[in-house]
Amino acid sequence: MFRSDQIMATVEMVQKENLDVRTVTMGINLLDCRRGSAEETCACVEEKIASYAENFVEKCNLVAMKYGIPVVNKRISVTPAAYVGAGFNSDEFVMLAKSLDKAAEHARVDILGGFTAHVEKGMTASDLAFIKSIPEALSVTERVCASINVGSSHKGINMDAVAMVGQTVKDLAAQTADSGGFGAAKFVVFCNQPGDNPFMAGAIHGVEEADVVLNVGVSGPGVIAKSLKRIIGQKGKENLKLDDIAEEIKQITFRVTRCGELIGRQVSKELGVEFGIVDLSLAPTPKIGDSVGEILQILGVDDVGAPGSTAIVALLNDAVKKGGIFASKAVGGLSGAFIPVMEDAVLAEAVGKGALTIEKLEAMTCVCSVGLDMVPIPGDVDGETIAAIIADEMAIGMINNKTTAVRLIPVPGKGVGDIVSFGGLFGESPIMEVRNANKSGRFISWGGRIPAPIHSFKN
Amino acid sequence: MSKQVVISVMSKDRPGIIADVTTVIYDLGGDLADLNQSVLGGYFTMLLIAEFENNITLDDLFAGFSNIESETKIEANIKEMEVKLEVEKKLLPRETFIVTVQGANRKGLVKVMGDFFCSNNINVLDLSTTRDVEKYTMIFQVDLTNLVSMEKFRDDLNHLAGEEELNLVIQHNDIFMATNEVGTQLEVLKADY
Repeated sequence: MFRSDQIMATVEMVQKENLDVRTVTMGINLLDCRRGSAEETCACVEEKIASYAENFVEKCNLVAMKYGIPVVNKRISVTPAAYVGAGFNSDEFVMLAKSLDKAAEHARVDILGGFTAHVEKGMTASDLAFIKSIPEALSVTERVCASINVGSSHKGINMDAVAMVGQTVKDLAAQTADSGGFGAAKFVVFCNQPGDNPFMAGAIHGVEEADVVLNVGVSGPGVIAKSLKRIIGQKGKENLKLDDIAEEIKQITFRVTRCGELIGRQVSKELGVEFGIVDLSLAPTPKIGDSVGEILQILGVDDVGAPGSTAIVALLNDAVKKGGIFASKAVGGLSGAFIPVMEDAVLAEAVGKGALTIEKLEAMTCVCSVGLDMVPIPGDVDGETIAAIIADEMAIGMINNKTTAVRLIPVPGKGVGDIVSFGGLFGESPIMEVRNANKSGRFISWGGRIPAPIHSFKN
Repeated sequence: MSKQVVISVMSKDRPGIIADVTTVIYDLGGDLADLNQSVLGGYFTMLLIAEFENNITLDDLFAGFSNIESETKIEANIKEMEVKLEVEKKLLPRETFIVTVQGANRKGLVKVMGDFFCSNNINVLDLSTTRDVEKYTMIFQVDLTNLVSMEKFRDDLNHLAGEEELNLVIQHNDIFMATNEVGTQLEVLKADY
């Protein structure tokens, strides 16, 4: 039997600190679904997803009930659609998106990721058709999320693709104007996109993966925030230094990660599916008490965005990794703290106060995952400016050998300070100011590639 | 031929009790198997299993313990085991859960839980309780191998918690293994361990 204080600490973590498993994501390879026609391919895609994911949600719920730890999200990721539908035209890619949507609905999952292309070095005719299909594909489907990888530390940044996706973001928002440009919230642009990330909207099942795997995303920032409040309350702020705080974060992350991996492995066993990785990312939700921003406030900045915010995120991100990597047999995905503005109530509040700007967010993304995430901007910001913001963020990822991503939402008909709300997990926020808009057109019009950085040449 | 004997020992705590008890066993040629020892409220308690040759009688053991010279009396209870301890029987059942219960201190709290487990035909594998100034904490390790419905059991526990004004949480033993035991291999949990 364990010591009673160990037991009560674990019980406290589960009950009072809302420990959960944030997501269990089933990755399914669809490369073997390609048939002679788009119709046949789509039918095969639906069939394969159904065959693997038939009992997925039920088994997750069963394990969650047995262990008394909720599995909040059950999702599916698939092989990047541009590979699956190689040779399709744009209409056929839209058809594929509809099939993925249908398959997700049939499997009773709320989101499916992998409507994706990897174009960091060059684009095929099929990739071009795919990118053109994205606005329509995401506006006629509910559950499908799209992503494009436009850069990598190894290959550089494909600026032709960056220019295209800047406009895609605009078109996507325009096509879903009725819902405040919600389509853009389902589309992420990446540098160094991982193939085993379980978190949406950027989850894919990489081509390097096995036929089917389960990846797990650990509990959110709420557990860390509550444990920090507890230790500060018990020991007193005057008796703690930042290295003590880092140590507490490591220890709580160890426990949180072990729980995530335990649940993931049990679901894997139940389904007879290979276990993939644990993603250590702290993913906030708009719910009160589940915010990365709150951790920053606890650690000493009155508003997120104030000087010191970047240093705190660096400490948090590093401590989470140190605790989690020892806890898990296989860490992967993004594994860092997320700072998605709309999905984090404290970040959104800081935007409202004028404390948090896009430039500060960009600085913070240098030391954490994943990038400029769920950032609502005025609807009249031009596509070239959006492309240039994407290029800046991609450069951070490329040079620093890390994943970065951009999910900007140009909200049609709205301006700086107006509130946009998507509800549920997507949250709400005042619209952020984009300073220096309309000044980057000449840069984006170059096209071509930003060459791979010198440190990528290691052979 | 040998026999297994279970011995319980209680004494007011002092240095040297373990030395005294194990000397008696050693002098009679005994071989120690499993042993549990704790100190509660200033009293030393020990429960152990040891193997002896068949020519050693329980009276020899009683005599050994009563001959211990000390200011504090050592009380021993000795029984020959009817069924020999087998290694595999020591493993925890697969469906071992931890039920933690906290409530305002009052008489009869452990009985409430004891009655509940008894009426549900649930075996308690281990139990520890502590009393603070106002709060009473109970930690039960229980075997739910024969449980028909986890959902119903959780409902029943929630009902009991409401009725008795208790804070009651049930978690699988694996959760505690995973979060507290650094060396636990997660992929082998749920197998027999």
